[in-house]
Amino acid sequence: MSNAILVVGGGFAGLTAAIEAAELGHDVYIVEKSPWLGGRVAQLNKYFPKLCPPSCGLEIQFQRIRKNPRIKFFTLAEVTGLSGSKGNYVAKVRLSPRRTAPHSVDLGLLSATLEGETPSEFDLGLSSRKPLYKPMPFAFPARYVLDVDHLTRSDKARVAGARFLFPSEEPKDIELNVGAVVVATGWKPYDVTRLSNLGAGAVKNCVSNMQLERLASACGPTRGRIQRPTDGRAPHDVAFVQCAGSRDRNHLNYCSYICCMATFKQCLYMAEQHPEARMTVFYIDLRAPGRYVKVLEKVQALPNVSFVKGKVADVVQAEGDRVTLTVEDAVRGEKLTLTYDLVVLATGMQPSLAGGTMPLPMPVDEDGFVAGGEDAGIFAAGCARMPLDVTRTAQSATAAALKAVQTVQGR
Amino acid sequence: MAQQMLKPDAAFAREIAQAGGQSVKKCYQCATCAVACPLAPANAPYPRKEMIWASWGLKDKLRGDVDLWLCHNCGNCSDLCPRGARPAEMMAAARNMVYRDLTAPSVVGKWMSSPAGLPYLFAIPAILWLLVWWIAAGFNGGNWFPRAADGRIVFGQIFYGDYTIDPIFMLTFFGAVFVLYRGVRKLWELFRPEGKLLVVGRTRHWILHLVDVLIEEVVTHGRFDDCETGPATGKATPSRKFGHMFLVWSFILLAFVTAMVALGHWGGKVIPLIKIETPMSLLFPLKILANVGALLLLCGLGILTARRLALNPDDQGSGYYDWYLLGIIWLVAVTGIGTQCFRLADAIRPAFMTYYLHLVFVWMLFAYLPWSKLGHFVYRTAALVYVRMYGRS
Repeated sequence: MSNAILVVGGGFAGLTAAIEAAELGHDVYIVEKSPWLGGRVAQLNKYFPKLCPPSCGLEIQFQRIRKNPRIKFFTLAEVTGLSGSKGNYVAKVRLSPRRTAPHSVDLGLLSATLEGETPSEFDLGLSSRKPLYKPMPFAFPARYVLDVDHLTRSDKARVAGARFLFPSEEPKDIELNVGAVVVATGWKPYDVTRLSNLGAGAVKNCVSNMQLERLASACGPTRGRIQRPTDGRAPHDVAFVQCAGSRDRNHLNYCSYICCMATFKQCLYMAEQHPEARMTVFYIDLRAPGRYVKVLEKVQALPNVSFVKGKVADVVQAEGDRVTLTVEDAVRGEKLTLTYDLVVLATGMQPSLAGGTMPLPMPVDEDGFVAGGEDAGIFAAGCARMPLDVTRTAQSATAAALKAVQTVQGR
Repeated sequence: MAQQMLKPDAAFAREIAQAGGQSVKKCYQCATCAVACPLAPANAPYPRKEMIWASWGLKDKLRGDVDLWLCHNCGNCSDLCPRGARPAEMMAAARNMVYRDLTAPSVVGKWMSSPAGLPYLFAIPAILWLLVWWIAAGFNGGNWFPRAADGRIVFGQIFYGDYTIDPIFMLTFFGAVFVLYRGVRKLWELFRPEGKLLVVGRTRHWILHLVDVLIEEVVTHGRFDDCETGPATGKATPSRKFGHMFLVWSFILLAFVTAMVALGHWGGKVIPLIKIETPMSLLFPLKILANVGALLLLCGLGILTARRLALNPDDQGSGYYDWYLLGIIWLVAVTGIGTQCFRLADAIRPAFMTYYLHLVFVWMLFAYLPWSKLGHFVYRTAALVYVRMYGRS
């Protein structure tokens, strides 16, 4: 029997659930697959409801984790198995090697001398990173990762004798005894290469909304300047393609809930940086839940933003690395072929569990969202359960934490 | 702005669902389909507007919609449709309703619209040709399977060209032509927009437009190529061009052969030089042409049938009108070739029986043409001529 709680996933939902449970006096383990905590929120430029940068909300969470001895977190870690039953689970966790010393050494100088480069996962391919890397200034834990797969031959010689680096570190398997599990595995942006009629990710200057967040982010590849990836020019004509892969039985058969708001937010970024840029939002329906309708009204009032009802169904490369869209304006009944400097595909949220195998004994629906498991003491939080914004993610995480606490309480 | 009162017709919406447009209600008007279609013009593209007309039951809008016939049914729209609302099937269903209701006697259209009508459709020619057979057998001393004096199998022994086959088929042919003529007149009347239409610039006679349509579209199947130029769907849908082209070319060849034989037969009575005796020798040029036509027909049918069977039922489907037409052409082809084979094998009973069935199916193909999917070859051509006359492309 254990009073401890396992939180799978160290994004906004996982952190919130872990902190809530720990602050109620329970031991919590966070198991996070990537090398840092913060998840998708860390990749954003700004987030709702207050449009603050992610450092704002995440820094507070990181502080609470740092100060709370009941929370233990594992990065580069994955749950590989769960046995036992509610109240008495044994979770098997595989810890992949980070290959750097366990204190926050600044390895920036050594990193700069390495030759190997690979597309940055954190910047969604918009920049490249060294094999010894840290994706953002406020990464927590503030430790570098040594990625031995992308070291060149001379890099290998360089890191071989370096202090604080352990190129031959092996993975470790550990077991954790827990009473309940919070599944906060989050989401991934829908794979644009599957959107064959929207260019399948091969059209230059046609980016996803998450890529635009990186472009707009002060710690992103362009230090926050929103520009065309190919030539660095400021875009004059920008199109936002809503429902790129969402509400579509060929892709995600549900509304991803956040993409409309993400686009409005990005219209505001654009208007702030490039007041002269013209923007067009192509949509099927606009979804601005609750009080967010004020944001919609604000964007609609911008002089350079226009809205066209009609789903873009064809995206091709035009001359000068511009992008041509074809769409029917369904109100006027006219098929438009328009060319833009930059096109943003508002891709949707796909649960991280979609298409993969999850070693946890809980049912997922056909889209990959967690659909049950509460009887077994397994509670889903955040976007593992349904598409949510950050506010509602925090609410669902608190709810999951409370249920987990109730499960292990009194044992 | 002028206010327009819409009068939705729920019964019609149900009707279109029965004619093959069951998924219409899933449509949420995202307009993907209008972009998916490479043939849809920029101004008022289809089929999004037709989808909303169908779900609201705006019968008159749909009946008078020339765009129904511009669609060549490639299925791009259904492949890309995010809802599985199958716009391609709705367009086909609306065309089926036009076939059904456009011309009298409307009872044929009703029989044609579901398998329940099949017994009637079959019984009419079956009784007709059985009657002919029975009478002719009477003239042959009660022998239903007579041989010619020289011992050959000659179908003319029973189905005399002069008094039975030719008059019946000529009546059928000209009857169908008359029905189609009325259908086309009515269709053009439906296409005509309300109010007065002013055509600015030079106009051409419709016959010249017809020639253009035949050369630029029917013979070359150019639109079938255009169908392939739509946005990438990420789905493999087999092409229809060659199957359809083989079928059209075999129809042209076989029609030519039939016309020549008729000319030789009837003309031969006046000018003995051009007289053609049937059955023709296998090496006679017209016979070779006929057999080439039959083989093309089989190839085309094979390709089109395999294609329909290979369609992913999640995206595109085949309705009763599709299978009726493919089925009847299959039966015509199989009984036609079977007749020749049995005749050459000197199997008299199977030969006569297959020939009888061949006559039944050929009659079904032509007599019911205006109400069947085959009507598209006239109605679509008429619509393509119409859009050229009125400048929509």
